[in-house]
Parts: sequence; structure tokens; C-alpha cells
Amino acid sequence: MTNSSPILEFTELRKTINGQLLLNVPRVVLAQGQCVVLRGRNGVGKTTLLKIMAGLLPPDQCTVHFRGKRYSWTQAQRFYRNEVVYLHQQPYLFDRSVRANIAYGLRHRGRQGTQLNKTIDEALEWAGLTHLAQRDAPRLSGGEKQRVALIRARVLSPQVLLLDEPVAGMDREAREQTYALIGRLSVEGMAIMIATHDTDQNMGLGDRYLELADTKLRECGEAEYGAEVAKA
Amino acid sequence: MESLSAASYQALYLLLTGDRDLWEIIAISFGVSLRAILFTTPVALMVSFALAYTDFPGRQFLITTVNTMLALPAVVVGLLLYILLSRSGPLGDWRLLFTQSAMVIGQMVLCFPILVAMSHSAIQAGDRRAWETALTLGAHWWEAMLTVMYEVRFGLLAAVVAGFGRIIAEVGCSMMVGGNILHYTRNIPTAIALETSKGAFAQGIALGLVLIVLALVLNFLISFFRGRGGLA
Repeated sequence: MTNSSPILEFTELRKTINGQLLLNVPRVVLAQGQCVVLRGRNGVGKTTLLKIMAGLLPPDQCTVHFRGKRYSWTQAQRFYRNEVVYLHQQPYLFDRSVRANIAYGLRHRGRQGTQLNKTIDEALEWAGLTHLAQRDAPRLSGGEKQRVALIRARVLSPQVLLLDEPVAGMDREAREQTYALIGRLSVEGMAIMIATHDTDQNMGLGDRYLELADTKLRECGEAEYGAEVAKA
Repeated sequence: MESLSAASYQALYLLLTGDRDLWEIIAISFGVSLRAILFTTPVALMVSFALAYTDFPGRQFLITTVNTMLALPAVVVGLLLYILLSRSGPLGDWRLLFTQSAMVIGQMVLCFPILVAMSHSAIQAGDRRAWETALTLGAHWWEAMLTVMYEVRFGLLAAVVAGFGRIIAEVGCSMMVGGNILHYTRNIPTAIALETSKGAFAQGIALGLVLIVLALVLNFLISFFRGRGGLA
């Protein structure tokens, strides 16, 4: 799906933190149904880039193109809330049940009553997490939290999903279950960007591979990525 | 002078037989303090949130001022309000001196810094991912703010309880701006001061018992909320 139409494009993106240039990215594009793997060392600015793209952190400068229309980052806030969802490395689940967590975003989109319950039931079933519906969300395991966070994002049908180290600290089984869910989301047409510092996390999901180093973003092929993984 | 045991016995008798004057004083005390805490809490929570989540000019000055106000003696607040509300004062036309409204204003000034300081600590110590998660799931800033407050609700409840404990027992301000008028502005602390000066200890002890029981209940509630906050 590498030739899909671009959904979200950032150009001339710059971000300075404490007087030090962290990001200087001429262009970064996410296309429909495309999964982009963003690799880089710890502290290189992956999370900052993702948060800027999610509208959670203001850049020093950048221009946003969303479905071909040009916006400033501030103007783009309007569609961020409906079209782009960001998941933290350790996703935050609100102090309420799993079901209420999934309902959170839906309620802000005006869903309620039977329609809301039906959407939640379907989502839980889709991810095989029906048994967790009434559980206290903060008490779930890391893998369960990540999967609940993924379906909490999925029910909102965002155009773009930004995942920050989605399998960090998970055991193999939880990692595989999470990869499987991400893969299914990608097939559904979401543009996905996955940030990872772990060179072992190629995960076979990527349509494109980017490397962030020394403020610059560099595209690299899967083979090159794999070679660098082997070197690292 | 009555013996302590006789006075205590009479105090219990007054409480348990529903002595009209005594229970009226208790009702005035709770009425004034509950209004004060009710009016102050929303403003204090907004200020606390702004201090924790935004950076604006004068923020540090405001934090220092609030912390300084924590040590402000009630009698000094009473004196300042007395000067403002007295006939010749700048707010004399409002004719509030020696009214319950003046007592409410005084108690609002007294509980505001406690509410802000404790709520600020609770919100500051909360997980910032809650704010970002709420926003990325489509919440408006004010909905995200309410979500963050819900997440730290036990800390905020502890702040409210501590603020209430501060004002229900204060005597200096209520005495100065309320005037200790029977059936109108006489509350528990001012009544205790008056009855003791008259040598009528029974009513003073009865009211003191109410404050002691209240202090126990409030401290139990604070411990409970802090404990829940730690578990959440």
C-alpha cells in the first residue's frame, strides 16, 4: 500500500527544546493504509515528533497538509481532535472500567445509549477482550492495557494512529497479540506510525521505514533497516 | 464554678435533648462554612489547574502568594475585611458588616489558599498522560480538565475537607465581621468564646464536643481520601 494517497503531511517542521534544536524535518508524510516505522535512539525526538503530529505539542514552525489542504499547526487543531489519535508508550487508561474507557472518546463524539453500547460490544469482541469489559482499567497488565487503548482508539475511526513504542516492556505473547491488532488496524485503512528504539521490533508491519537521528529524518528501505538492525 | 464533670454532663444533656439555641448555633456554623467552601471550591480548582498545567506571567508569584496566605491568621483577615466593610470603608455601601455574608466572604478568603495549595499539589502529582489522552480522544480542553480532576479526585476531596476543617473552627474572622449576634451570626467558635468568658461552660463544652467529633470525622475522611488516592 505504499502508493496510497497522503492523508497527513508535515513540512518544514522545526522544534527546539531548551534552546537546542531537536527536530529539523523538511517533510514527513503518512498515507492511507500505510504503516510507517519510525526508528531512532532514545531521546532523539521520536515522542516529540509524534506529539507534534498529534497536536499535543506545539512546534516552533511547521505547515500541515491534511487531505491536500494546507493549515498552520494551530489551525490543524480542529481536525486533530477527530482524525488523529496518539497512544503513549505506556497507554493511560482512565480510572474507571474498561468499558467506560472505550466509551470516553465516543461520548465526546455524541454517541450514547444503544448505539454506544453496541459499538463498545463490537470493539471488545473484535479484539477478543469481552472478558475484560467490567474490569478496573488501571489494574490490567501492560499488554491488556495496550490492547484496550488500541480498541479505544479504533472505535473513533481516526484517519491516523500514532503509536509510541507500543510493545515496550511486553513479553513475547503480549507483543504478538499487540502486533496482530496493529496489523488489523492497518488493513482497515488507518495510516499508522509506530515509533520504536528497539532494533528488534521490525515486526513485519512496516510499509516504510524512517530513521530519526541528529534532528533529521531519513527514509530507509526495509533491507537497509534490517541491516542496521543487525549491526546495532 | 461548675465542676468539669457536671458541665460535661450538662453539655451532653443539651446536645441530646436538642436544645434549640445550641443546635441553631451549630446550624449557622455549618450553613456559613458550607456556603464558603461551596463558592470557593470551583474557583480554587480552576486556579490550581491553571497553576499546574499552564505557564503564564506571574505564575510563580501567584504560587508564592498562595503559600504565604496559608499562614495568614484568621484575625488579620477579619481585620482587613472589617476595614473594607465598615461604614467608612471602601465597601461600606454594601452593608455587609455583621452579616452571615461577611462571614462567608471571610471564610472564603481563609479556605482559598488551602484549597489551591493542596489541589495544586494533587493535580501536579497526577499523571500528565491523562490530559494528553483526553485531548487525543477528542475532548475539549475543559472536558480534559474535568477528566484530569476526576483522576485525582481523592486528592481534591482531601483538599476540600481540609479547607472545611480550617474554616468551621476559626474564630477570629467570624467574630470580627460577624459580630457574634445570637440567632444570626453566632457560630460554634464565637459561641464557645462567649460562653467561656461568661463562665457558662456547659454550652461551650457541648459545642466543643461537636467540633472535636467533626475534627475526627474530617481527619478520617482526609486519611481515607489520601489512601484511595494512593491506591488509584
